[in-house]
Amino acid sequence: MGGACTIPNALAAAARSDHGYRFVGARGVESRKSYAEMYDSALRVAGSFAALGLRRGDLIAIIVGDPEAFLTTLFGASIAGLVPASLYPPAPTSDLPSYLEATARVLRSCTARGVVTSAALLPHVDSLKSGCPDLRVAIAADALQGPAMAAADVPPAGDIAFVQFTSGSTATPKGVVITQRNLAANITAFANGLGGTADDVAVSWLPLYHDMGLVGMALGAMYTQAEAVLLTPEAFVKRPIEWLRTISRYRGTISFAPNFAYELAVRRVKDADLADLDLSSWRIAGCGAEPIHATTLAAFADKFRVSGFRDTSFLSGYGLAEHVLAATLSPRGRGLYVERLIADDVTARRMATHANGSGAEILSVVACGAALPGHDVQIVGDGDGPLPERHIGEIVLTGPSVSPGYYNDEETTARAIRGGRLFTGDLGYLSNGELFVCGRVKDLIIVNGRKYHPQDLEWGVADLAGIRRGRVVAFGTTDHDGPDRAVVIAEPSGTVPADELTDAIRRRIVDVCGLRVDDVVLVPSGTVARTTSGKVRRAATKMRYERGDLDHAAAGPSGA
Amino acid sequence: MAASSSSDIENGVVEVLKNVSRRPIEPTPDSDLVADLGFDSLQILEVVAELEDRFDISIPLNDIPGARTVRQVVAQVAALVGGAATA
Repeated sequence: MGGACTIPNALAAAARSDHGYRFVGARGVESRKSYAEMYDSALRVAGSFAALGLRRGDLIAIIVGDPEAFLTTLFGASIAGLVPASLYPPAPTSDLPSYLEATARVLRSCTARGVVTSAALLPHVDSLKSGCPDLRVAIAADALQGPAMAAADVPPAGDIAFVQFTSGSTATPKGVVITQRNLAANITAFANGLGGTADDVAVSWLPLYHDMGLVGMALGAMYTQAEAVLLTPEAFVKRPIEWLRTISRYRGTISFAPNFAYELAVRRVKDADLADLDLSSWRIAGCGAEPIHATTLAAFADKFRVSGFRDTSFLSGYGLAEHVLAATLSPRGRGLYVERLIADDVTARRMATHANGSGAEILSVVACGAALPGHDVQIVGDGDGPLPERHIGEIVLTGPSVSPGYYNDEETTARAIRGGRLFTGDLGYLSNGELFVCGRVKDLIIVNGRKYHPQDLEWGVADLAGIRRGRVVAFGTTDHDGPDRAVVIAEPSGTVPADELTDAIRRRIVDVCGLRVDDVVLVPSGTVARTTSGKVRRAATKMRYERGDLDHAAAGPSGA
Repeated sequence: MAASSSSDIENGVVEVLKNVSRRPIEPTPDSDLVADLGFDSLQILEVVAELEDRFDISIPLNDIPGARTVRQVVAQVAALVGGAATA
């Protein structure tokens, strides 16, 4: 096939194998499409794009939840030389007008020429055209029926494989640019780490508008010409056992999921259903994308041991969209390796000191493995210089998977990627070449694998009546081994009763970000600390909250 | 078999909501599942699964966010239960 491995090249090569995608839909409705059939469909999609007047280099936004339609559209766009960009579809909790407003902002900022979406969303997306001057085409995925693009008309593949927009939950979503070279380098390296071959069977319910689902599962399988069985995220969340039944039925060998999915399976799969499961084929149970809790995975292994699950199948990893997917992977067949650290040393001294049975508070950290071959992980201190082993600092990545930056956003790019070094904003340390992740430099709130920026929560409620202007702080807090809780601290102006204001804050953040805030605390004037330039001091306020200094009773006027 | 009365449906919906939520909640017809009762998008789907089992219906998941209040959920379930009876 010659030249760099691009999405069209990889698909053309996979089309010569017998393998393909099996799509498991709602109520057990299944369909299978070989890679050859996927390629034919993609040529029709490419032909449709050409007929619609879309040209090489045009950005086409894909807002599609259905896995088959998503992949066919992505491959078709890739063959047509377009720049495919994935956007989050609305969540079941989304407020549609707020969602559409955020989507319009993204479409404008990336000067999208077209949008492909579902038939149900199409009328809504079509209405955004008036506010998006570059947007010419809005079309439903199932309307892209060709005629097929002739081989002679296929343009050379674009340098950009796709642009992945981060969660719709943020006011200013960033589009991570992934080049064909980035993609091929990362898939080659992690497939090597997993020992992946064409005989593997990948099983995934992960969304395809997220890197782990798209690259780790769907594209990873296609590039290695393995079979992939794809469920929808909704099917998994509704009935977590469907994930495991699918692995059992199709003899799945590789399946990745974030920590919360393992927790959901432990909690919701009924013991009576365990006997019918055979998980003995599952050789790689990958875990990543959000902090990994050893206790969750241990509970999963305990519960599913009777179904043939082995805890040596666990494989942890660290990565992020700006690095295509994975940066490190733990060695396969080992299972989880956990270090127990003195919590105070981690937070106060930024040192990873073994607890060794001391009476101090313990922080358990899961090892995420060494850097992928050809890639490098460094830990840097405040002056960007490398730190010795077991010193905690920011994780910085280099190598062929580092994205060139954010689409149409040089300013944000310059903050995160400098001289080919990706500053991840995550905190960690190295020990014997293995990476341990133990926190975040950036103030992200992570709930169920979704990342929320505190600024978006703060801006979202800034104009609410009853709040003193600029006196709102949002942050995530966690007991060392649990999920984040979202907290909002606000200074009321006294014009709105406290319980009404608390309600209004919660509602607004649900509408703007789709996030339920766990705790709203109204505090007296002057409590929210600010810098001399007037910015809220999030870390200082968070520390006072965690110490218990910020008291609900100190709130302003009572609503009673 | 026996048709569910509207109050049966409402009681059933409230019971499902209480079971799925792991906090003490007191749903009223006007409660918003997300803003008032604190359900996140995962729990909403859990509610959907429980309602399907309990009422032996299939709730379509559109791409468009649907019912947000308890009253709307009850109406959606009632329509599906009624539809199944006449089908």
